[in-house]
Amino acid sequence: MIVIVSDDSKGDYGPALAEAVSQTETQLVHFSANALTVMPCVACGSCSGKTYGRCITQDDMQQVLPKIAGCRALVLVSPVVFGGVSYHIKKIMDRMAAVGDPRYRISEGELVKGMSGQGMNYYMLGIGDELSATERAAFLSLHEENRKIMSAQGQAFILSGRSGQASINKIAQEIVYG
Amino acid sequence: MDKSEIMLLCASPRRKGTSTMLLERIQAVTGSEVVFLPQKDSLHELVLVMQQAATIVISGPCYINTYPARLIELLEAAALAGGFSGQKLYGIINGGMPYIHTHQHGLTCLQLFAEQNHLSWQGGFVLGCGAMLDGKPLEKHMNRKTVVPAFDQFIRHIAAGTPSPSCLYEQAQSPPGKIMTQVFAKLLTFLVEKSIKKHGHDPKAANWYLREQE
Ligand SMILES: Cc1cc2nc3c(=O)[nH]c(=O)nc-3n(C[C@H](O)[C@H](O)[C@H](O)COP(=O)(O)O)c2cc1C
Repeated sequence: MIVIVSDDSKGDYGPALAEAVSQTETQLVHFSANALTVMPCVACGSCSGKTYGRCITQDDMQQVLPKIAGCRALVLVSPVVFGGVSYHIKKIMDRMAAVGDPRYRISEGELVKGMSGQGMNYYMLGIGDELSATERAAFLSLHEENRKIMSAQGQAFILSGRSGQASINKIAQEIVYG
Repeated sequence: MDKSEIMLLCASPRRKGTSTMLLERIQAVTGSEVVFLPQKDSLHELVLVMQQAATIVISGPCYINTYPARLIELLEAAALAGGFSGQKLYGIINGGMPYIHTHQHGLTCLQLFAEQNHLSWQGGFVLGCGAMLDGKPLEKHMNRKTVVPAFDQFIRHIAAGTPSPSCLYEQAQSPPGKIMTQVFAKLLTFLVEKSIKKHGHDPKAANWYLREQE
């Protein structure tokens, strides 16, 4: 299954990507992060202790976590905000710790972690106009660091607010078959 | 510098953690109260305090390679409100991993926020191994011999209102070597698994959400 979580408060790239992926008959779930009620992670530690693998905060994240737990690919779609993702998307990311593997591994000589499922692909799609070189590099580096710490595969894409359906279709192809 | 004009903002939901400890170390020199980012309710009041401060120091944990969502929410709200005119901004980010590159994004994010909203970015401090400290004094840090003087130099920059270069934290911390990395991976995994087992769970079992779906 492919899970797309998008912040659609500033554009409809998330729904457009979901539409393009659904054309390929891949199993898909799409969440609009800005329409969900998700509290910030308060670092209570329960998901790696008392309620191992489960987040105890009862809100809409309880619908998202089961989907992410077993997904083949996770795609986060966000406006590029200060070289990263918007707070709507960041709230989802922070709460994902519950479906992460809390044990440590070594990759390329450094400590990393992983996700609970097997071999998740992780993609980020950033949307922004006239982004500076620093903003673009920061967005790509955030994805790269996330990818490493999750021991995942996948890549980051950046589109301008004027990109057409063809660019979206290309990204959909990459996510489904890449 | 007028002491009351420094805003020391803690962006961790944990009030007694490493982010707070680092701010209290600064507070001992500069004065001012440590303000905690509220996890609920409006951030409007806090944006007003930011607008009125001459210097803002933000200290927060690294969550998934950058600052937590609630701080991003504050920065988005502050950008929307506007009203900044040259406020000096310093940042501190601490993470569990013993590296700098895994936490660096937080400072880049603050720098971009400053540049896009008429604040004056003055640099920051990235601290690895923050989880091991868990709020204990910096003197307990793995690289204490170099980290303590570097952080204290960073504090002097804040007090003097001068920019703090990244080489200060880069040169103070070195990643563990090959053998230590293996020791860390084994030891930390042992501790995590011990805690999971203590709570009656099997650390190797499939995730709870997957089992629920079966
Ligand atoms: C949701 C969550 C995500 C985290 N992600 C990372 C991470 O990506 N890299 C890292 O080194 N530490 C990570 N940590 C560990 C914290 O950065 C670390 O425990 C830090 O010292 C906490 O600071 P505090 O005591 O000020 O809250 C994460 C912790 C939580 C709760």
